[in-house]
Amino acid sequence: MRESILETRSLSKAFGGLVALDKVDLAIEAGTISAIIGPNGAGKTTLFNVITGVYPVSDGEILFEGKPLKSAPAHKRASLGIARTFQNVLLFGNMTVLENIMTGQHPRSHYGFLGAALRLPRAHREEETISLNAMKYLNMVGLGTFAGQNSMSLPLGQQKLLTIARALATEPRLILLDEPGAGLNTLEKRELSDLIHRIRETGISVILVEHDMPLVMGIAEWIIVLDSGQKIAEGTAAQVQKDQRVISAYLGEETD
Amino acid sequence: MLAMVKGKWVYLVIAALLAFLILIPFDWFLGHYTTIMIFIGISTMVTVGLCLLMGYTGQVSLGQAAFYGLGAYFSAVLSKTYSVNPWLAMLIAAIATGAFAYVIGYPILRLRGNYLAMATLGLGIIMWILFGQLSQFTGGPDGMAGIPYLSIGGFIFDTSFKRYFLVWFFCLAVLFISQNIVRSRSGRALRAIHGSEAAAESVGINVARFKVKIFVLSAVYASLAGSLLVHHLRFVSPQPFDFLASVKFVVMAVIGGLASIWGAIFGAGTTRILSDELLLGFGEWDVVVYGAILIIVMIFMPEGLFVKLKELIGRWRLRYAERGSET
Repeated sequence: MRESILETRSLSKAFGGLVALDKVDLAIEAGTISAIIGPNGAGKTTLFNVITGVYPVSDGEILFEGKPLKSAPAHKRASLGIARTFQNVLLFGNMTVLENIMTGQHPRSHYGFLGAALRLPRAHREEETISLNAMKYLNMVGLGTFAGQNSMSLPLGQQKLLTIARALATEPRLILLDEPGAGLNTLEKRELSDLIHRIRETGISVILVEHDMPLVMGIAEWIIVLDSGQKIAEGTAAQVQKDQRVISAYLGEETD
Repeated sequence: MLAMVKGKWVYLVIAALLAFLILIPFDWFLGHYTTIMIFIGISTMVTVGLCLLMGYTGQVSLGQAAFYGLGAYFSAVLSKTYSVNPWLAMLIAAIATGAFAYVIGYPILRLRGNYLAMATLGLGIIMWILFGQLSQFTGGPDGMAGIPYLSIGGFIFDTSFKRYFLVWFFCLAVLFISQNIVRSRSGRALRAIHGSEAAAESVGINVARFKVKIFVLSAVYASLAGSLLVHHLRFVSPQPFDFLASVKFVVMAVIGGLASIWGAIFGAGTTRILSDELLLGFGEWDVVVYGAILIIVMIFMPEGLFVKLKELIGRWRLRYAERGSET
């Protein structure tokens, strides 16, 4: 087995008395596409939020590229190389399409207020790199022609692609996609799978949370199944589909 | 091509504005307005800070007069009571006010929306009371007179004509600096925070730190404005830093367009002319007029009067261009 990009050890998260994640152990192989599936309320989004530092962990630890993340805040994790998208899109609606992606370059650029205020040469150079890179990521998701439009004028499918481009612009080594397929039509979903494959080819590991089973089974090399905060199964698509616990979690158990 | 044409237009407008500004204080032109223009310049500096804070970053402040007053009193007390060089006093005032905003910003900016508004409102009122009560330093409610003029070498800014240029030099510097910041990496970070704090964090923006930074910058702008005010009036009292002053700055920012740097001049100009010329007969009822303006602007043109006008002109130009291309 290759090196793990992300590991969790006995990771737990409780909100008051509600246990959202219960001693979850994960090891995500670098350079792969993994999916986390499970019924509603299984703790999938909570897992993303804990990995990206939105919530502190209650117990256990998270290792990114072998190093513990401890209590690093969300913005720090983005600069370490963990990017994400959100279930509810969360674009910067007050900006153009291109500016949204330029904002994604934040952790890879450095000049601050002073450089900007005085228009230092360094600021100029960095701005050039930022807009070139932003254009590159915009073209990667196929939205190059919309660069100057307001981001909220795009239809939902393209807005979702835009948030993926914004996440890619942070130049991550791991990207977490929270329900990227939700609300997309069949054609858009096919384009999404293509895009996810292309992201993996650039060497970025992908983890997605997704409800669309054909999409998941089609692209994920490793599937982790959560139910009520616990990992109940993991494996390849074929293995998971046959797992008795997975079937009962989705369809309900027969009790005698 | 279109961008080039548009670029040229902008330079033309700025050049015309600068020429107009330079001519104003001459007696044969609009010399009568010199004093009011000094106040407009000073107010614009505070308003620009508020635009950055409210319009771009989405953080409300109803206590901007506190920083304006701090700058004013630091300058007044240092330069008069302790005979510090007025320029040095101005610098110390800006640094001290900035430091104060930094210390108070970290806890206060964790609040959002109405709570932040209440906290900044409280800050404004507390500072206003302190200006009046710490009478051994500030001269109390009666104020303090005899503050020296600013001077460079032997050149003393002892007439309104001279101070007009001084104030507008500072004002335009603040406008240009703000314009550059808005169009930069930091400017995008600020707008991102306004758009979605969660998404901003997810792309590596330290939301808490950027909020404090812009709060400090807006406080420094206000402090510089306060210093210029006392060296213009040579007198300081708590009155210009009361709650109504903070409200007026919000009105200025709203009229100019919260997310518009150059609109600040327009907002400050309109509001100043209203309060210093047109509403004098209203007495204390002028508050009602400001309230009405705020409500009307927020309902019918939330992007601001200035931005709306710009939009209308743009539409008119487009129609004109279309008609031109048809023939």
